[in-house]
Amino acid sequence: MDVAFTLREPWTVLFGPSGSGKTTALRVIAGFVRPDAGRIASRFSEGEFVMTDTSKGIFLKPHERLVRTAGQGAALFPHLSVRRNVAFGAQAQTNGSSEAAIVDEAIERFRLQTLTEKVPSMLSGGERQRVAIARAATAAASAGSGCVLLLDEPFTGQDAPLRDELIEELRKWLVPMLTPILSVTHDVGEAFQLGAEVIKMADGRIVQQGPAADVLAADRARLLEQLRTGAESRA
Amino acid sequence: MDLEALWLTLRLAIGTTAILLVIALPLAWWIASGRGAGRALVQAVVALPLVLPPTVLGFYLLVMLGPLSAPGRLLIRVVGHPLAFSFAGLLVGSVIYSLPFAVQPLVAGFSAVERGYVEAAEGLGASPWRTFRSVVLPLTHASLLTSAVLTFTHTVGEFGVVLMLGGNIPGATQTLSISLYDKVQEFNYAAANRTALVLVAVSLAALLVIYSRRSATARGELV
Repeated sequence: MDVAFTLREPWTVLFGPSGSGKTTALRVIAGFVRPDAGRIASRFSEGEFVMTDTSKGIFLKPHERLVRTAGQGAALFPHLSVRRNVAFGAQAQTNGSSEAAIVDEAIERFRLQTLTEKVPSMLSGGERQRVAIARAATAAASAGSGCVLLLDEPFTGQDAPLRDELIEELRKWLVPMLTPILSVTHDVGEAFQLGAEVIKMADGRIVQQGPAADVLAADRARLLEQLRTGAESRA
Repeated sequence: MDLEALWLTLRLAIGTTAILLVIALPLAWWIASGRGAGRALVQAVVALPLVLPPTVLGFYLLVMLGPLSAPGRLLIRVVGHPLAFSFAGLLVGSVIYSLPFAVQPLVAGFSAVERGYVEAAEGLGASPWRTFRSVVLPLTHASLLTSAVLTFTHTVGEFGVVLMLGGNIPGATQTLSISLYDKVQEFNYAAANRTALVLVAVSLAALLVIYSRRSATARGELV
């Protein structure tokens, strides 16, 4: 795998087929995988926060990074209620009163009011994914400006209207906080819908980076052709 | 019923269990987390009391804690008296002898926790200690209970190590199992039977505690 990119937009998407290295790239940024060679840093007006620099022997553990992650599976803590799952990420960063306010805001934004006292085993797959997104977003919001939120195929299992709502809430909440989002998808429609900058990957390499309309033009055309052909064959 | 021996046995079992849980938790987590060199060696050393004859272990502990060895002399300087043939010596011997009973259920429990939960916690900014305390431990409380109960009952039933290390001093090192042995030697089968029944009752109660508790550990599929 050989990748190098800069997050310039509030929302960036890593796009590519299965096995292209998207999740691996995310895990390297998150600190779950140590690269053979590489550098990962967040740049601020005051300077840089280096999380990985193999040339200097720097490799911060996941919890030390300015990164918060929601992996491919929801991985909700089965012994905690929905509220306490969402609150888990806030607890590491805030005092008691501000933690409660952030958690309440997350529960409202992500439409979890009727689920707060349930445990994960009582939730549907889509509900679990929604809670996982809320939990990671809460952690990123609590960590403060500059923290990057990594989402690995976050909208799996969500119906289209709910996915639209989740995308909108993430954007409204985190973008003003200057919390960049980097998400992984192999869904062309989702990549367009996010209106994000797209980094297209294949075989562990970046093949193109830019607006979705440019990077995914061919994929979009292919999808539209498939839809047209499918509609015609059923007619 | 030898109440003095019963009380001494309970003190020994409770003390051993408390000390071992403090030692076993970080040790088991280190073994189960799969990182660090020498895991196999540590696991072998931890498991050694399982295969060593208790009298062999007791003999070497007797030598190690006595004035003929450097560790023994250091301990005597620190504690003020030899540990052999004392309750403190029994405690040290029991901790070593029951180590695998404390560690191995915990290793099994920790190993069964899906790595995804640990990564989820770390990815949310939780430190290793917070991840262990807030995620791993609650998911493995059944293993913790098994570890504590097995350690307790194993200590209650000790004979070889206790006899070698503690002798048979009433009120100081005479545990229930040694008291039972004495009563058989004296042909006092009625008293021996009463003592034996207490030991059976403790063992049965321990097994009931373990088997009657439904595990809440999340095993298998990540939710």
